[in-house]
Amino acid sequence: MTSAAGGVIPIGWQGLALATLFVVFVGVVSIRLSLGITKDLAIATVRTYVQLLALGFILRAVFRINSPWLVVGLILLMVLFAAQIVLKRSPDAPRGIFGSAFVAMALTGFIVTFAVTGVIVQVKPWYLPQYVIPLAGMVIGNSMTGIALAIERVYADFDAREDELLALTALGATPWEASHGSIRDALRAGLIPTITSMAAAGLVFIPGMMSGQILAGADPVTATAYQIVVMLMVAAATALGSVIALMLTYHRRFTADGVFLEKGYRREGR
Amino acid sequence: MTSLLSASALVAVLPGDSGDVRVLDGVSIALAPGEIIDIVGPSGSGKTTLLRALARLLPDATGALALDGISAETVSASKWRAAVALLPQKPAIVGGTVRDNLLLPWTLKVRRGVPQPDITALEAAVDSVRLDVALDRDASRLSVGQSARVALLRVLLTRPRVLLLDEPDAALDEASAAAVGELTVRFAAEGGGVVRVRHHVADGLATRRLHLEGGTLADALVARVPAVRP
Repeated sequence: MTSAAGGVIPIGWQGLALATLFVVFVGVVSIRLSLGITKDLAIATVRTYVQLLALGFILRAVFRINSPWLVVGLILLMVLFAAQIVLKRSPDAPRGIFGSAFVAMALTGFIVTFAVTGVIVQVKPWYLPQYVIPLAGMVIGNSMTGIALAIERVYADFDAREDELLALTALGATPWEASHGSIRDALRAGLIPTITSMAAAGLVFIPGMMSGQILAGADPVTATAYQIVVMLMVAAATALGSVIALMLTYHRRFTADGVFLEKGYRREGR
Repeated sequence: MTSLLSASALVAVLPGDSGDVRVLDGVSIALAPGEIIDIVGPSGSGKTTLLRALARLLPDATGALALDGISAETVSASKWRAAVALLPQKPAIVGGTVRDNLLLPWTLKVRRGVPQPDITALEAAVDSVRLDVALDRDASRLSVGQSARVALLRVLLTRPRVLLLDEPDAALDEASAAAVGELTVRFAAEGGGVVRVRHHVADGLATRRLHLEGGTLADALVARVPAVRP
């Protein structure tokens, strides 16, 4: 907690301890009003400390080592965690979701991140961790949210429309033709949060990354340019990730012969 | 007479509440051109399952199917279903107008290059089932009986070789049911084959009635009685 980059005033241990008083205050309110969230609040506070401090020290080490392999490895690790979260959030999805989500986020993560760092920001060397890792984190995090929403939605929609799927298949439709309406609705559902936050940016809130850069002493207009790039990047990451994930997964509820597996026909794991 | 549609040794094992159930246990059936076969049997005896197997719409079904003597194995599933057309019991009406619904089959790859029916043909079709609605009516506003007739017309207009009808008149009043019956007879008279699942009292249109129970098919001995129970 000693080195200060740019114009940041470092926060010491005493500062962190004082900030913890905010949570202590919430804890007192919770006990007094019997809100029953004291334990969760305590655990969440400890997790915030442990996870973020670990991240800070890991990033400091990664920035020092400055190796391309380490950067690529960290991105893959982030994708792995994100795929695990998508899997947990889609309990009704058929088998194989983990692999598809992993592939979708890995493709999105690398393509979108390096398009931004290599072409738009033009960092040198190409793997400069200070730029690549935070941007990859935002790309993967947002595409994860979009993918989880889209996958959850598409399988729920399939079940809601099983009569329509049967009728269309009976008329000779391929799985793609039969599921097109559900896929379109799921993609829309996955993209709406991103579009909403793009529309509200600057009016309702100062986006997190821009706040961070301003606090770090950057010129607000420079910070704005970064924020615009990030918001467009997030939109692309969400769309690309959801499209790839749905393309890789929608047919898993259909047999090789193109029949939709209604609930009554599903066996263990499909 | 050579059969139009033939199926032999159809077996379907479906997951049930307490283990797997052999819903079809070696069912064979031969449908000649011009024939209307009614499948009767108690509820849950697998009548719908049989229709789905014939349309190649049943996951994990085994057995041999042939149309005009040509094995199903040599035909893509989409082409087979376009020729051996199942009308599911629940009419699935998609968004848009009645016309959009009737022309839906021609938006599919399997009918690429096949000309779609013109307005005159669509209007004639709608009249033929006493469906008194305009073609540009919003399809979501149709009644259950109207939806059932639109779904039937949608299949008939594609001119399949075989029609598989799952309770085609369950949601219809007598006059509409009679109109659907007339269309079915006309389809058969023009060389098509029909397999129907019906719960209603026999309407005298079937050329044969078969009884499905315990996974096997037998001639229904008692005529004009639905769901014969031995």
